[in-house]
Amino acid sequence: MSRYSCAYLSTRLSLLASRLISFEQLSSLIDLELDQILSKVYEWTGHRYQLDQRNARRIENQLAKTALDDFQILIRPFSGRERRFFYFAIRWFELVNVKVLIRGKFTSTPKAIIQQQLVDLGAFADLPLEKLLETEDPYEMLRLLESTAYAGIVRQARNVFDEQGNDLFLLDATIDKSFFIDLKKHLQALDAQDAETAGKVMGALLDRFNLLWLLRYRFSYGLSPAKSYFLLTSTGARLHSADLMRMAKIDSIEQLVEALPQKLQQQLQGLTVISDIERVIEYSTLAAAAKGLSVNGSLVSRAFSYILLREAEMRFLQALIKGKQLGFDQALIRQAVIGVR
Amino acid sequence: MLARPVHMKKISLYMVDTDAQQAALTLARMQVLHPFNDRLQDMDMQEYPANAYSEQYNSLSNRFTKLTAGSQQNFTDHNDLNSIVTLQQIELLDEELKDLWAIVSALEERQRQQVEKLNATQQLIKSLQKFISLDLDLSRLKHPGRFLKIIVGSIPSGHLAQLKRALSLADFMIESFYSAEGIDHVVVVGSSLQQHDVQDLLKSADFREINVPEEFSGNPAQLQVDLTNQTREIEQAIETVIAKREQLLSEIAPILQNVHDVLLQARPYASLAMVLKGKGGLVFLQGWVPARAQDAITLRLQQDLRFPVHIQFSSPHMKEYESVPSLLEHNWLLRPFQSLVSNFGIPCYAEFDPTVLFSISYILMFGMMFGDVGHGAVIALASMFLWKRYRSIAIVASLAGISSIVFGFIYGSLFGFEEVVEPLWMSPMHDPEKILLVALGWGAIFLLISNLLAILNFLSMGLKSEALYSGKGFAGLLFYLAALYAGYQMMANNQTGYSELILLALPMAVIMWHLWRHTSADFFERTLVVLIESLEHLISSVSGTLSFLRVAAFSLNHIALAAAVFSIAAMMDTTGHWITVVLGNLFIIVLEGAIVAIQCLRLEYYEGFSRFFSGTGKAFEPLKLGDHR
Repeated sequence: MSRYSCAYLSTRLSLLASRLISFEQLSSLIDLELDQILSKVYEWTGHRYQLDQRNARRIENQLAKTALDDFQILIRPFSGRERRFFYFAIRWFELVNVKVLIRGKFTSTPKAIIQQQLVDLGAFADLPLEKLLETEDPYEMLRLLESTAYAGIVRQARNVFDEQGNDLFLLDATIDKSFFIDLKKHLQALDAQDAETAGKVMGALLDRFNLLWLLRYRFSYGLSPAKSYFLLTSTGARLHSADLMRMAKIDSIEQLVEALPQKLQQQLQGLTVISDIERVIEYSTLAAAAKGLSVNGSLVSRAFSYILLREAEMRFLQALIKGKQLGFDQALIRQAVIGVR
Repeated sequence: MLARPVHMKKISLYMVDTDAQQAALTLARMQVLHPFNDRLQDMDMQEYPANAYSEQYNSLSNRFTKLTAGSQQNFTDHNDLNSIVTLQQIELLDEELKDLWAIVSALEERQRQQVEKLNATQQLIKSLQKFISLDLDLSRLKHPGRFLKIIVGSIPSGHLAQLKRALSLADFMIESFYSAEGIDHVVVVGSSLQQHDVQDLLKSADFREINVPEEFSGNPAQLQVDLTNQTREIEQAIETVIAKREQLLSEIAPILQNVHDVLLQARPYASLAMVLKGKGGLVFLQGWVPARAQDAITLRLQQDLRFPVHIQFSSPHMKEYESVPSLLEHNWLLRPFQSLVSNFGIPCYAEFDPTVLFSISYILMFGMMFGDVGHGAVIALASMFLWKRYRSIAIVASLAGISSIVFGFIYGSLFGFEEVVEPLWMSPMHDPEKILLVALGWGAIFLLISNLLAILNFLSMGLKSEALYSGKGFAGLLFYLAALYAGYQMMANNQTGYSELILLALPMAVIMWHLWRHTSADFFERTLVVLIESLEHLISSVSGTLSFLRVAAFSLNHIALAAAVFSIAAMMDTTGHWITVVLGNLFIIVLEGAIVAIQCLRLEYYEGFSRFFSGTGKAFEPLKLGDHR
């Protein structure tokens, strides 16, 4: 990347970072009415979102669109391996669509409902969504998916549905697992410095996924230690293979939290509900991303951190707005968005 | 020369809803209506009566496309189709195709499974040799042990490391004995008591168990024969499935032809789903039609529709220009150039269609940059071979070739030889200064014409202020003329005076004032924007003109390349000399010819179009029967 592109990207990143909604700002939104929330969001981010009473999903798509537009601006100056890394990272959004499609088809959900749940990815879209929606049975859809960049996932999906009794959670797990393994491969292909700095942020992200999936496999779905461990993805920054193997054998959440490496254990001390742990660990990951976004980091690491933070912001806003639209209790919304701490 | 898109009129049709399909069919056969939905007009009519029809049409069309994908069947397009297709007809056909697709889809799935099986068997044959070298009594694998469970199979290589660690948690071990093409062939060993958990885990790892036949340990050669036979059987099964599919498709060919006809006739009405509005038995359709077709449309609709129809035509208002499509009509000679213009953009309805100007200037510039009688003749002759298959390329290439021949005579150049043909005007090699001046003059004229066109375009779009005061408008034109005058004074008299400065400053001040008025920001930002944009205008005026020096540069480059070829040829014996001359000339024609063609396009797009042509129009896309596939 030329010096000019670096300067441009660095300025652009600083500008975008300054428009991110902070934790305190997010907390303050929970007590407001919907239109007040949107006007505050406009004030802080410069993005104006329109409410559509007939189509609640519309605002979710608007939120996704503005995030994707920002990502596109960020990715444009990159080329080669860096660009491939970012394009792959943004596939995360399309994976959401893949999951919705597979799940919808296997549960015979009507096309219109599946369509509502899909995210419009604009220029990042790779899937022939219309054609996939038109398929008439799950296997026809899988055959069509086989001709896309998600062919690898199809094999897993078929395996899950043919042999594992249509366990939808397993499908999510296998898709996430293969995504993160491939993302790590893309990361390792970067320049050593970029791989190291962005790797720190990714490490925190992988720790979060591994810990949450381990808790769910063991205590929500009752899987064996061996299978629970196998379904986890590449190892992250703090939770190494040996830790995860050791933790997979533990039979209660309390003991598992006790067995975590010290810093994580301190953060999660006393928590016994998975959703509470999820929020705390998520904010811990976002703290790592916020650190990665600092001006001193490499541009790849900063851009990657921004993507993580922006994705989280989008998700939190979606949850908040949906909660408000459905008339949920404020305490419930607070717990879903902010967590217990 | 300065054509505009065909004059359009807005048509507003009010009719009885039962006539809507016939109206769509009639208009589609005439190919004159570009439908559009003016959401502000007829706000009372907020029902979309063709919506359900369109959905059913799409469903039928999708099933038809899926069924006929990859099929050899050719469908006849009947020209006499003129009957109304009802919603019920489409529904019935759609149901029929649904059942047929279910059969075909099941066959495709069976074929996929067989292909997967075939791949696995072929993998197994490849790994057979490794099985033989495995230090294990494989006959034991057939019999379940009391304490020990042994499983042989394959897994994707990427899963091996993690699976190894996971199995260790269940006190099992795994060893790979053969790895190829991303698959590891493995043996899994552990306690029989835990085998259920492990089987479940192995499935998650995409583990494929291999059933080792009885005779394997005794006679590996026999196993290879068995596996080869198995492969053949699978291949036969695949062929059977394909044949069944083909047979089914040929049996239902008449049904498919019928669906094809139905879709053809249903398409016009179905495609009006988002534009045909209605309420209480009355429907309203709007669109753009060529003005010249006005009478024919009225006549045909009155003939074809059962009930009276109210038709209203109106010329587009200036504020409607954005929604008016552009219909460009050119003869066969200009059509390829129209495609090149469309690559940049479609002219807006109010804009000039630059196709004629583009074609002339492109051909002229190509000749100027690549003037050589011989090379031009080769290009013109070669284009004849492309005539049948690639007509558009052939037309552009033959005209470029002819232009090259003409300029070859002007320059006195024949296959790079500069002394054979007497130049009609001048030889760039002998008078490079002159060709540079000619190129500059050409550039100045080109930019002046672009500027004039921009002014005319602004005026026809009602943008008077832009036409008069903007950098692309009259002020810009004056500035450019002043810059040319100042440049001339500089070159001719080696000095510029106050008069030139005043001539430059006055239009620039107008441009800056115009920018200031049209920039909405705080004082500092406004000042910055005005200064930067004015500077940008100044630079682009100079750089745009200098950009045309490449016209001269390429004509000189042409000679230089030929000189290089002759220098190399001079080092050879007679045969080598002529081989080098021929190959060198071919090299010049192909490589330099392509570069010049691209450079001409670049000059047209960036120095010409970007100054006067927005290219943001939309093409006229008439409602038609057409191909629905």
